[in-house]
Amino acid sequence: MRLAFILGEIGSGLRRNLSMVISVVLVTFVSLTFVGAAGMLQMQINQMKGYWYDKVQVAIFLCNDSSTATGCASGAVTKEQQDNLAKMLDSPAVKQYISDYQFESQAEAFKHFKEQFSNSPIVDSVTQDQLPASFRINMKNPEKYQIISETFSSQAGVETVSDQRQVLERIFEWMNGASVAAMVVAGIMIFCAVLLITTTIRLSAFSRRRETGIMRLVGASKTVIQLPFILEGVIAAVVGAVLASGTLWLVAQFWLNGDLSKQFLNTPFISSAQVLVIAPVLIALGGGLAGISSLLTLRRYLKV
Amino acid sequence: MIRFENVTKVYDPNARPALDAVNLEIDRGEFTFLVGASGSGKSTFLRLILKEDRATSGSVYVAGQNVANISSWRVPKLRRGIGVVFQDFRLLPQKNVFANVAFAMQVIGKSRSIIRETVPEVLKTVGLEGKERRMPHELSGGEQQRVAIARAVVNRPGILLADEPTGNLDPITSMGIMGVLDKINQNGTTVVMATHDDDIVNEMRKRVVELRNGVVVRDEARALYTSMIPVVGESRRMKDASDAEIDRAQGVQQ
Repeated sequence: MRLAFILGEIGSGLRRNLSMVISVVLVTFVSLTFVGAAGMLQMQINQMKGYWYDKVQVAIFLCNDSSTATGCASGAVTKEQQDNLAKMLDSPAVKQYISDYQFESQAEAFKHFKEQFSNSPIVDSVTQDQLPASFRINMKNPEKYQIISETFSSQAGVETVSDQRQVLERIFEWMNGASVAAMVVAGIMIFCAVLLITTTIRLSAFSRRRETGIMRLVGASKTVIQLPFILEGVIAAVVGAVLASGTLWLVAQFWLNGDLSKQFLNTPFISSAQVLVIAPVLIALGGGLAGISSLLTLRRYLKV
Repeated sequence: MIRFENVTKVYDPNARPALDAVNLEIDRGEFTFLVGASGSGKSTFLRLILKEDRATSGSVYVAGQNVANISSWRVPKLRRGIGVVFQDFRLLPQKNVFANVAFAMQVIGKSRSIIRETVPEVLKTVGLEGKERRMPHELSGGEQQRVAIARAVVNRPGILLADEPTGNLDPITSMGIMGVLDKINQNGTTVVMATHDDDIVNEMRKRVVELRNGVVVRDEARALYTSMIPVVGESRRMKDASDAEIDRAQGVQQ
């Protein structure tokens, strides 16, 4: 009986305040979409990290005829220098950090270069001896790059030690920046949503002050008086959260795994199923915020 | 049933108290008129019983319980034992007569079958049988007040507080309302009625408590609206002071 009564009260409250309720739905929808987008970007970063970090290598580029680095003062790398470097890579001090390495000769480097830039006219202007030979190292732990760099960059015959991770890191930094920006927008929008929910609940309480006044007088409990108002806010916010989750799912399903994955074949995109992990978080966040802000509003504007 | 022990209520520390050291006891089943000019403290008296306000000093006991000791989450329970009727009826305009009375039972969680059984009974008590489906705007003032009374007593409270229930009604309709209140009182409910209506008080011949500037200046059984006892001593001094104040106020108005 009491449940039916509370549900009826909620229904009439939502109907009376329809335009305000719709605006609450839309504002929470937009703000939570931004929160979810930030979350998706973070998931995407993690996914790409996991995928790429297994593949990235540290390269020790050796001097060639045209090298200008200080370690290359004596010209192109000699056979002894190269053997010496290979010996160092096999020594236990270095070996504990690397899982394996390959030597890439100038001829192989030239072949890879031609494959990589097969569509570009630059291939015609590059000759084999302009490219450096290199040791390609797979690290056990990519974080330990610094040790390899310190050990080898000052060795004779080494032009430079480069970490492919650093290139990726720059992309990730950019994506991180984007997700932070999304969070900032989300924060502002959530603030708007909270203010709007507060105003809506205040209006709702004001338009039903006759009912609540009588409820108070005949001894209705605080729960019966306040719950319909709180649930009104929560329901509107949860509807917004569901819409936001749906939108993010559509983005993942049809944009990331549709258009984008066709354009970037070797980039691992997050699946639409992974987005569903974000949905409960958004719903809890929307409902929680609405509940708390309604409760605080009622404490001020609805005396019991 | 209701006991005031040296109760003082101060709203504004710079003005005189709304109630000043009031001592009063109203027994179970009694019918009491609370009379006095506007601002004499009648409404404050009723508000303190409902714990709408807190006494500045002294204690208010309702049904043997000091209301100051009732925690805020148990205040609803206190109010379930008290029915209230106002001058302006306070019905819900979009609900019909039945729904208005049923509302008071719904919000405290009574079952639908009990509501369907009780509401017609109460409507019969207040003389509104057959008007369950009417909307408030289709009723006369007297009928609307009967609905309000029905709503106030439908949960069988031990106390009924009426704050000028006949203030908006003509004398004949008012007598009808008094008949309803009397009937409820006969059924064992303690009734406290604040009023200005001298005809009614004189007709009913019940206990009369007169407040003047927050002080009880008269408490008489089976009394009239105006005192039959000459005012003497301290009360006399206060009466003169308040008369002077009333004269001044009227002078300002003119």
